[in-house]
Amino acid sequence: MAKKQIGRREFLISGGIAVGALAVVGTGAHYLDVARSDKQLRQDFLRPPGAINEVEFMYGCIKCGLCVQICPVQAIKLAGAHEGLSYGTPYIDVREQACDFSCDAMQCVETCPTAVLNFIPFKEAGLAAVEKATEGVVDLRNSDINPFEVQKVAMKETVRMGKAHVIKDTCLAHQGKGFKGISRGKDFEGIYRAPDSKVAWATPLKDKEFDREICNLCVTECPIGEKAIVFEPRRRDGKMRPRVLEGCTGCGVCVMVCPTEKPSIVVEPIKS
Amino acid sequence: MAFDILKSGKNKPPLKPKPVEEMPHTKLGIEYKEWCNSHKTRHKWRNIRWTALIFMNLLFVVSFAFDLSILEGSLSGSRLIGFYLMDPFNALQVLAVSSTTGYIVHLTMNFWIGLFTILLFWFFLGGRTYCSWMCPYHFLAENMEKLHNYFVKKKMIKEHSFHIGLRFVFWIGFLILAVVTQQLVFEDLNVVGITSRAMIYGPGLLLLWVVGVLLFEIVYSKRFWCRYVCPIGTTWSLVGKLSPLTIKFDLDKCGYCRDCQDVCLVPHELWFVQRGKATQKVHYTGSDCTRCGLCIDTCGGNALTYTIKGWGAVL
Repeated sequence: MAKKQIGRREFLISGGIAVGALAVVGTGAHYLDVARSDKQLRQDFLRPPGAINEVEFMYGCIKCGLCVQICPVQAIKLAGAHEGLSYGTPYIDVREQACDFSCDAMQCVETCPTAVLNFIPFKEAGLAAVEKATEGVVDLRNSDINPFEVQKVAMKETVRMGKAHVIKDTCLAHQGKGFKGISRGKDFEGIYRAPDSKVAWATPLKDKEFDREICNLCVTECPIGEKAIVFEPRRRDGKMRPRVLEGCTGCGVCVMVCPTEKPSIVVEPIKS
Repeated sequence: MAFDILKSGKNKPPLKPKPVEEMPHTKLGIEYKEWCNSHKTRHKWRNIRWTALIFMNLLFVVSFAFDLSILEGSLSGSRLIGFYLMDPFNALQVLAVSSTTGYIVHLTMNFWIGLFTILLFWFFLGGRTYCSWMCPYHFLAENMEKLHNYFVKKKMIKEHSFHIGLRFVFWIGFLILAVVTQQLVFEDLNVVGITSRAMIYGPGLLLLWVVGVLLFEIVYSKRFWCRYVCPIGTTWSLVGKLSPLTIKFDLDKCGYCRDCQDVCLVPHELWFVQRGKATQKVHYTGSDCTRCGLCIDTCGGNALTYTIKGWGAVL
């Protein structure tokens, strides 16, 4: 009996310490969370495509890194300890490596087991697009429509990671300047599949030389195209400059290719 | 009768200790000390286990480094040749939070398949078998334990032990914490996940926390994390309550030396090896046992063996 009591006392003492420790951790987590919520919406901390709102994302993401592994251009990285409670969650630093959609099928979203990268909207958009495109088509084999292509395009156009906006002060086009050469220097590691690329996979940005009278890299290299960004004359003086449209997915290829020292176009995460 | 194999036999009256004539060393005709030390250098199961552990963890690393689709992800969640596997406590936390917020309906089928596959798999292998055969932190702690034992032996530090039920306080506590904060708080402290991710995706600042926990284990309390905190181990312990694969103890071959308890991570599971404690001729270790095999290696009389409970007649 005496022994049993000692055991119980021991348990209560260490259990008390444990509960105290948990309370400290909980309070700490709360403060970190408060500190985090605003800071997180940065352009170098975009969530991967299909990410649900940040609150649900934080408890749904189990930090397995499957999205990191499946990404063919390795755009997705896991946050380090300096991100506090976001430690281990995936993000995209578009300036270093943008999401260029060269995987063609939202693979990071498909692989996510807890659906914090939610595939359903993409699936629905893809199916709807295929249905619309094949409407009235009797024999698919004899038509020009490739349903897979239609689905792929519809899926990537559904992505809304954020929205780009041009910083006029530094933008070369806004200053009427052109660009010639390798946009980010010879040591830049980033890869992407340019719209005019002849291969199906991503190639290094440093391998491509540009020569533009007026710099329009963000427009020509955009994987979405004219739905997302256009190069058009300014109403005031007729000078050409890029304009971001509603179709922008926030993939950040424009940010990655921008040749100015600090990117003259940035992606702002969509607050939801 | 069928449930006899599930009972530990702890509440029965103990058998009488064996007389000297029945001790294994007398039967062999050697000194007691010599008998005790007869298998001190045997590391058969340890070597097999370490090889398996390193192989599996390397498979994670290699799969990412060379883009092979063998074992992708990390210990928090992975895909084995395209087949999903989940960490059960991680999954429990997600379930706890998402069922209060209604997000639970969005969890993918892969999540459920992964969770049930891994539970079933480790259930057959013994629950906490995961700890000693898979967990990279266990590997680190197991090796650091030697340092701790050395310090204790040199009387440089004192051994501190806590109540074994502490794990359940942490287990419930972390679940409550997850629901209250709507964050997977444990994942930020989870040394298993941190070590696993550090190996696969490259080291980060949070490795300092792992080092901190290891240091605490070395200088203060032996295997503190594994024994008293780790909710993942606790989950496996609950899963392994009825596991068939376990370790069998044969009283007839035992010499009461208690060497097995010294090497054991969870000595309370080997309560029956002490002189006059066993209540049956044959005992099985319970669900806290990690099936690491250290006791099997060290036992002078081969009294401990791996067994599949309830299948003795078939095999």
